[in-house]
Amino acid sequence: MRLVRAEGLAKAFGATRAVRSFTFDLDPGEVHAIIGENGSGKSTVVKMLAGIVQPDAGELELRGRPVGSVASPRAALAHGIGTVFQEVLVVPPRSVYENVWLGVDGFFRESVPANEKRARAQALLTELLERPPDLGRPVSALSLSDRQACAIVRTLAREPAILILDEATSALDIATRERLFGVLRRLVSAGTGVIFISHRMDEVGEIGDRITVMRSGENVATVSRGEVSPRELVRLMTGVEKLTPAVDVGRSAVGAVVLRADGLQLAPRARPFDVEVRAGELVGVAGLEGHGQEAFLHALRGAGSFAGEVVASPGVVLGSPRQARRLGIVYVPRERRADATFEPLSIRENFALPTLWRDAVGRLAVTPRRSQRRFHPFVAKLGIRLRSVRDHMDTLSGGNQQKVVIARWLAADPKVLLLNDPTRGVDIGAKRDIYRLLVGLAGEGIAVVMLSSEVDEHVELMDRVLVFREAALAAELRREALDRQALVSAFFGERVDADEQDRARV
Amino acid sequence: MSELRRLAHQYTFAPAAVLAAALLIANVVALPRFGNPDTWIGTLAIFAPFALVALASTPPVLSGTGGLDLSIGPLTVLVNLVLVVHLLGGSLGSPEVAIPICLALGAAVGALNGFSVAVLRYPPVIATLCTFLVILGVSLKLTSQPATAPIGNWTTQLAHKVGPLPGPAIPIAAVLLVWLGVQRLPYYGHLMAIGGDDATAFSSGVDVTAVRITAYSLGGAFAGVAGIALTAVFQSADPNIGASYALIALAAVALGGTPVGLGGRGGLLGSLCGAMILYLAQNLLGEVHVASTWNQVVYGLLLLGGVVLSTTVSRPPRRAAAG
Repeated sequence: MRLVRAEGLAKAFGATRAVRSFTFDLDPGEVHAIIGENGSGKSTVVKMLAGIVQPDAGELELRGRPVGSVASPRAALAHGIGTVFQEVLVVPPRSVYENVWLGVDGFFRESVPANEKRARAQALLTELLERPPDLGRPVSALSLSDRQACAIVRTLAREPAILILDEATSALDIATRERLFGVLRRLVSAGTGVIFISHRMDEVGEIGDRITVMRSGENVATVSRGEVSPRELVRLMTGVEKLTPAVDVGRSAVGAVVLRADGLQLAPRARPFDVEVRAGELVGVAGLEGHGQEAFLHALRGAGSFAGEVVASPGVVLGSPRQARRLGIVYVPRERRADATFEPLSIRENFALPTLWRDAVGRLAVTPRRSQRRFHPFVAKLGIRLRSVRDHMDTLSGGNQQKVVIARWLAADPKVLLLNDPTRGVDIGAKRDIYRLLVGLAGEGIAVVMLSSEVDEHVELMDRVLVFREAALAAELRREALDRQALVSAFFGERVDADEQDRARV
Repeated sequence: MSELRRLAHQYTFAPAAVLAAALLIANVVALPRFGNPDTWIGTLAIFAPFALVALASTPPVLSGTGGLDLSIGPLTVLVNLVLVVHLLGGSLGSPEVAIPICLALGAAVGALNGFSVAVLRYPPVIATLCTFLVILGVSLKLTSQPATAPIGNWTTQLAHKVGPLPGPAIPIAAVLLVWLGVQRLPYYGHLMAIGGDDATAFSSGVDVTAVRITAYSLGGAFAGVAGIALTAVFQSADPNIGASYALIALAAVALGGTPVGLGGRGGLLGSLCGAMILYLAQNLLGEVHVASTWNQVVYGLLLLGGVVLSTTVSRPPRRAAAG
């Protein structure tokens, strides 16, 4: 009897098809790993199995019984599915004991006697942690790793037939991770089926009996341990198709250093690193989601908390985004709606706001006509499609809104342009316009630093890509060494060597 | 200091209890009349409805995600009204019948609020403000002018001595006892969990909706008790006093170390201490002849200081930095 059999599961969120078709099975006594790039649909698959979201289509059988879908986390637990999520899910003010046994009891009666609960919680914590915390301690007093251990123990305590670990190891310290693998081996030999999701190839290779690779919302391959090399897995994850249209990157002149980070440390205990950004270069910022890219971009404009120094070209140490702006370092945020646009205002106002003083006549009066005149060249240069500059911002498509936001900052004559995933939610035509614009700007001597979650943008566009891992600069790939495989391998902390010799097989 | 902080974190009501005790002493010293045992029952009777409104306001706050119930004040008055105008003196006036009706009325309105918040997902402030207005309207409809309770009905005992017991303490003790019982149930764990972290509780299989609705109806039922205590002191019903209770009760909750808007921290004992602080402070201010025009200002500033103090002292230890 199979524990899980999924056939063609699909899930869309609005227009985004997170999972197109997922076919999968899990046997008792095996660890089945699922790997894939950001946005390949792994998390949505987990959410469907855990009852957080329900599939739009497809068949699901659990322990030999067709179920259709899992209605809620409660229902998932009733089906014998226990899930540990990537986010560390604990109730900080409550005790370890309460956190471990959360949700097991009814309103009025305990389903497991209290002394047995204590014993089982203690036993599991001891198995997982070298120094298990006191059961009565509030979880808020524990380290991140120990908190995640509590969340894991909560799932283990229910003795699920199907155990799902969705990047559950990323918050764990190394010792606890090793101990968790020991626990998993014990459970698997007793017949539990484990679905293991991790971004770490070494973990997947160590514990996965079978590996399913997902790409663009579909499972593209399922292989057994040792069947293929890490390189092959990376190739399966990334595919070969080119998604971005080719942009002519015909530039080579790179100027003086305009921005420098010295001993930058983005998180406590993260490795410090140095970075230089030169005039006229296009620098990509890449990595798996949440590995410090965003913090890095913010640090470059003196925002957020970090250790070390960021120095702008005249030798000024940045202290605030305001100061950065005065020095010509401008930033285009990721969340357009929330952080960049003023929807009820007109397009012209959205463009002019930060540079409004330029439209001043005398000391106080501002004339809209001047803003309009300044805006005009940008409409042509960026290919902004609009009816009237007096229309509301929200009448524009996402791509055109983004162009207005970029124009806003170009009007401030920047030396450094920081962009946070600027093509997210932008149609392909507007993307192309933005790429062309960025290449042009670099040609004019502006330093462009762009965070992107799309691998192809880095490969097609950048002079140099900074890859982040665990809140530190993990690799730096120059144009000549830049291809999809090398980049994605760097995301996963793997190196793809130029020579054909495959390293240790998975 | 850190040890003190840890204790304050564990016993969230402790700072409020200390402050309440200090104010009690100040009252006794400043106002000799206050120290006279003959006045105690009367004082307690006036304090009881206010304290009960604060207690009733607490469970919705504990349930988290901005939870609170602004309609507890008007609901108390509605129960008071129904009791005075429709129950006492009628065929349903005996305590064995009237008390369950009062509790059920409170619980039903609370459940309605819980439904708006947990199922329809309206923000608690808006949802319960709407209930507040509806109840106010219904109350005015039920009695256009103040009504009086029949003389010598059973509620008067709650404002006097009942055997050896002080009558006004009975409803407060009853609510605290019920709460003590709730704390021994697994339900209490669910409540504090959904207040502390909604998503964790949901993914752990807690029926978040049911737990939250129950918290609001528990608050409503306590408001029913408050309505009875209110009837006991005043022996009349005035639909216009409900509004003033609504916000002061929340201030008492916050003073008692239950952070309003956060959930999962604090409890009813703190709210009782918070209510004591407010009551005693106002009493003291009234007697030391602060010019009545400034009275409200001083009271407001005291309140602000008290809330800031109790929330900073009982703030949880700083979270370990996320790696």
